[in-house]
Amino acid sequence: MAELSIGNYSFREVGPRRYVVSVDPDKLREAVELVVKEDSYLSTISAVDLPKEGAIELNYVFWSIKHRAALIVKTRVSRERPVVPTIVDIIPGALGGELEAYDLFGVVFEGNARLRRGFLVPEDLTSKGVYPMRKDAGV
Amino acid sequence: MLRVRTEGEEVVEVSVNTGYNHRGIEKLMEKNSWIKGMYLAGRVCGICNAVHTQVYVQGVEKLMGVEPPPRANYIRTVVMELERIHSHMLISAVVAEIVGFDTLFMLIMRDRERVMYLKDLVTGSRVHADIHIVGGVKRDIDEVRRDKILSELKVVEERLKYYRKVFEEDYTLVKRLTEVGRIRTAEALRHCLVGPTLRASGVKSDVRFDDPYAAYSEIPFNVVVRDEGDSWARMVVRLEEALVSVDIVRYALEHLPQGPAVPKAFPRAAKVGEVISRVEAPRGELIYHIVSTGGGNPYRVKIRTPSFLNIINTEFTYLGHRLADVPVIFASYDPCISCTERVLVVDEKRGLKKYLSLRELARWGTT
Repeated sequence: MAELSIGNYSFREVGPRRYVVSVDPDKLREAVELVVKEDSYLSTISAVDLPKEGAIELNYVFWSIKHRAALIVKTRVSRERPVVPTIVDIIPGALGGELEAYDLFGVVFEGNARLRRGFLVPEDLTSKGVYPMRKDAGV
Repeated sequence: MLRVRTEGEEVVEVSVNTGYNHRGIEKLMEKNSWIKGMYLAGRVCGICNAVHTQVYVQGVEKLMGVEPPPRANYIRTVVMELERIHSHMLISAVVAEIVGFDTLFMLIMRDRERVMYLKDLVTGSRVHADIHIVGGVKRDIDEVRRDKILSELKVVEERLKYYRKVFEEDYTLVKRLTEVGRIRTAEALRHCLVGPTLRASGVKSDVRFDDPYAAYSEIPFNVVVRDEGDSWARMVVRLEEALVSVDIVRYALEHLPQGPAVPKAFPRAAKVGEVISRVEAPRGELIYHIVSTGGGNPYRVKIRTPSFLNIINTEFTYLGHRLADVPVIFASYDPCISCTERVLVVDEKRGLKKYLSLRELARWGTT
């Protein structure tokens, strides 16, 4: 499979026009900064709950106009302490994605001042501290 | 709901509250079979239901290792483009109504019904297409229907050309829409806007062209781009695009490949894997992230609709404009949520707080 190198990161091709790189949470901002420079916008932040592995996987899906390809930055945080640095100061369009992942999965984006419960989830769930898209939420 | 803070007539702060639009469809998909998910996807949105089914089905087909036959791909394309035409006509009508041009609203809605009829002709339903199935489509198009669509399209095309002319030349429309809610190219990218909103700011980005799916790689078409970046440009891009869609439908029907379109059977289980599936909905890039751990139902389906980006990330575009421009700017993003129709207006100096509908707000100060 072909590879695409951006800075120090080599993205692995996983399908036609789809490239993936896995990074640690502390390298996330660095990787995102490089991707944003490739004429990219953030399509979505997709969280996947993996209770068996005790982790939540975050997929930052970018579309690069320059490369005509989706650049996907993957990172994993622990379910007990799901903290990851925010990227809204690098790309303001990430706001909706971060608010959504916090409200539905409980992933804390450190440095995002607008993070709040009740963005998408109704009050009867937020008052109980339930993150409804987690596999064990019982919703 | 939009929360608008004003000083006198000038907008100084806007914040978006999405309400309860997360209806639990993602969770429902996890708990239901792959095939039931297809119907759920179509119910995410009423206006653009065929693209939702397309993006879900093409993702599931990848996970199941199924390739739809060429004829099915062409029929899917026809349905999706008919949907784009009526969706663009709908928002043009809504914008006309918001600026106070009610006659134009009525005329566009009347002609939109012709397109709804064509969609009915192909799929058997005016609104919910539900024509996709894993490995093909549920109904084939026969010669009679094909000819009927082709002749009716001539009328639709004439009307669309007329409406484009109206949006380009009518004094009131041009006055209300130009220089309102202007977004520059760099801002549009930084704030992750998609679809006609992005293309009206001078960025050539269209999933149909950049990342072709269905039959788009075989159909020649132009990506409509304008540089102005204001509400007017967004509307003209949409009307131009609707005309391009007419050509796409015509081309697809005239070059419809022979062979089967309706599959006799399809698999019920998917392989382990994940897929990022993208299509160009009428409002912009629609993306599904589907994760499979094997078996009869998806492990995770993430849905991100284009309006989610276009509404939440455009708070900055209202600033400095007059209060009466807010509904015009808002409507020019083609917002796809009925529940954000109300606006909370806060006037700080007078300590005024008031809930208004978009229609009332557009007539602010006239009564």
